[in-house]
Amino acid sequence: MRPLLYCLAAFVAILFLLPIALGTAGTVLPAFGLVDSLASDDGFATVVGDPRFASAVVLSLRTGVIATVLVLAVTLLTLVCVHDTKLWRLLSASLPPVLAVPHAAIAVGLLFLISPSGAIVRLISPELTGWERPPTDWVVPDAGGWALVIGLVVKETPFLLLAAAAQLSALNVEASLRIGRTLGYSPARCWSRLILPRLYSRIRLTLLIILAFNLTVVDMALLLGPSSPPTLSVMLMSLVNDPDSRGAASAGALLLALLVAGCFLFMWGLERYVGKVATARRRSGARGRGFGVFRFAGKGVVVSLLFACIGSLVLLLMWSFTRRWRFPDALPSEWTLQNWTTRGDILLQPAWTTISIAITVTLASILTAITWLELERHRIAPKIDGIWFLPLLIPQVSLLFGWQAVALWSGIDGHWGTVVYTHWLYTLPYVVLILAVAWRELDPAWGHAAHTLGAGYWTVLWKIRLPMLRRPMCQAAAVAIAVSVAQYLPTLLLGAGRHQTLATELVTSFGGVDRRVIAALAVLQSLLPLLAFVLALIYPRWRQNRLQRDRSPKQTRAIA
Amino acid sequence: MHPLRVDNLSLHLPSGQCLVQDLSFSIEPGSVLALMGPSGSGKSSILSWLTGTADSRITTHGNVWLGDKKLNHLPTEKRRLGLMLQQDYLFPHMTVGDNLQFGLRGGTRQTRRERVSQSLVDAGLGGMEDRDPATLSGGQRARVSLVRTLLSDPCALLLDEPFSGLDTALREQIRRFTWDAAAQLPVLLVTHDVADIPEGAKVLTISDCTHSVEPLNIQTV
Repeated sequence: MRPLLYCLAAFVAILFLLPIALGTAGTVLPAFGLVDSLASDDGFATVVGDPRFASAVVLSLRTGVIATVLVLAVTLLTLVCVHDTKLWRLLSASLPPVLAVPHAAIAVGLLFLISPSGAIVRLISPELTGWERPPTDWVVPDAGGWALVIGLVVKETPFLLLAAAAQLSALNVEASLRIGRTLGYSPARCWSRLILPRLYSRIRLTLLIILAFNLTVVDMALLLGPSSPPTLSVMLMSLVNDPDSRGAASAGALLLALLVAGCFLFMWGLERYVGKVATARRRSGARGRGFGVFRFAGKGVVVSLLFACIGSLVLLLMWSFTRRWRFPDALPSEWTLQNWTTRGDILLQPAWTTISIAITVTLASILTAITWLELERHRIAPKIDGIWFLPLLIPQVSLLFGWQAVALWSGIDGHWGTVVYTHWLYTLPYVVLILAVAWRELDPAWGHAAHTLGAGYWTVLWKIRLPMLRRPMCQAAAVAIAVSVAQYLPTLLLGAGRHQTLATELVTSFGGVDRRVIAALAVLQSLLPLLAFVLALIYPRWRQNRLQRDRSPKQTRAIA
Repeated sequence: MHPLRVDNLSLHLPSGQCLVQDLSFSIEPGSVLALMGPSGSGKSSILSWLTGTADSRITTHGNVWLGDKKLNHLPTEKRRLGLMLQQDYLFPHMTVGDNLQFGLRGGTRQTRRERVSQSLVDAGLGGMEDRDPATLSGGQRARVSLVRTLLSDPCALLLDEPFSGLDTALREQIRRFTWDAAAQLPVLLVTHDVADIPEGAKVLTISDCTHSVEPLNIQTV
């Protein structure tokens, strides 16, 4: 039996690593002109010679790095200023639903909020501004990419904040603050010298994932980023669609991966430098002063972030039911259901494709994760937490260009199964990592107790372990659905245009379709993961309540 | 050094349950007041109130003075009340030397380093500046933690069962070290174990919202 299980572990590992290895090869080989059928040109010379290249690199670096720095700064500021307050509890409750909203939907919502004809301008016009028409002084998306930076900060900060919040309990924050303060340090100094250095090492990997994402994002850059020049990833997208520029696209994807690697290296160097400076400062023993103003500013940032997230979602919902909303009215003057009922062609088919892919991918991811974790528990599969992060650390553009080339070559491109497989590659890391914590923490004594009562392996798994892990499994399923629903590039590149999901429909329709229908698309795209998160929250509680309800009468009878 | 004084302290839980009513005491420099009582009677809450870190849901009345200085409205970091808990809370991302430097106030880089080295020698831990706290024994960690508290130059010392996590052999050693090191300070000691209380100390017993202060008498305790 054991050799078979080793084969199963090897099969899962190969299934996961195969697209990564082939995708990398599929990008690297054409980039160097080693695949004649895919690259006839000198890829590097072509892409570097593209007049947009230098500006695209600068724009990608600027938006990606600034957004990441801001995400980190806002997260740390939030923790220092808001932790253990009522605002923190409100924020903690808002994080999962905000995380569930796909990037493209948030981007569209933000456009409705910050554009010249957006809600912020409407709220203060014409009373404060005198504007009777949308101002023309600025445009969104702007040439500097600041709208994209805002979008990335709004979407990625909750991700880092959630990762950080999950680590705080292990750091004994209350005790550290108490000891630090009785030693004479201000709360801000206690955070900066006692808690943040330890927290940072625990959220470093998440931050790297965010940096890689911010530098290489495509869907948000298409919606919020400038178009001339675009970011490097968007520029490469325009090349990959041209068969004659395949080599250039691959070479560009490789350069993008190197750019990300270079940023990782820079971050590593910066970390070491900041660490040395922080240690020297800590040794000075300076106690610091109170941080009233600092705390006030921090709370302002948190409130702004919540406003941007929730405001964007509310605006999407309002626009999707709007018939007439003239500038500068603060609210629509006429409401309608027509945006939902008359554009079934845009809404229904993509929704169905999205749901079918998301559910299949979720089931496959959970099954794979359980298989691996069970094999790991029986010491058949190794613990490879770092490896699961690979697809998230390699830029999607760099990996998927190659994977698409392999799919084209092998004739599996455009198949529904290929799209599902590629989505699975991106959902599995989250599912494994969510389940792994609970799986490893579950006391094996429960299983041992069941075995001594005569239960076999499958009975223990089905009747004991899985029901006891119902809550994390539901959470993992919700996250998997959210990740799958948000996937734009995998669907676009591997689906060969045959599988329109809400993500691809939203991005491709944007600009060409009425903004009210776009809003309906974005709402629909957001609803699916939100629904999954609500179910993940309610279902385990409902099961628990039912169990308690079922038990009560029996207990009463027994007592009687 | 000044005495630590508490006037008319009352603590009530959010449910309205009384923990302490009209408690007053004063601790002179160089003397120890042991605070005893059953679990949940409010001993640690009194310490939290003294340091200004009490749960905001607990209703409190009363004043705390250090000599003529009223501490009530000062933030924790300005009160200069050294605190030692059952767990040593040595910061794991710092060396032993860095932990001590973190406690130390003022001085140049050179003098700070020298004071840390001397303190470690005095504590019988000479040459351990660069050690990772995780590699120290329980007794060594307890001593480093106490030295760190003392280096912050506190005006009074609050000890919340600081010896209870140590094995029997170490306890006596650390007790002696603590009383020697804190000889000039007013000390409030929360403990369940009468053996922790030094000779000459008074014992404040609280239970069910009542309290009494008596000299240490092993038999009555």
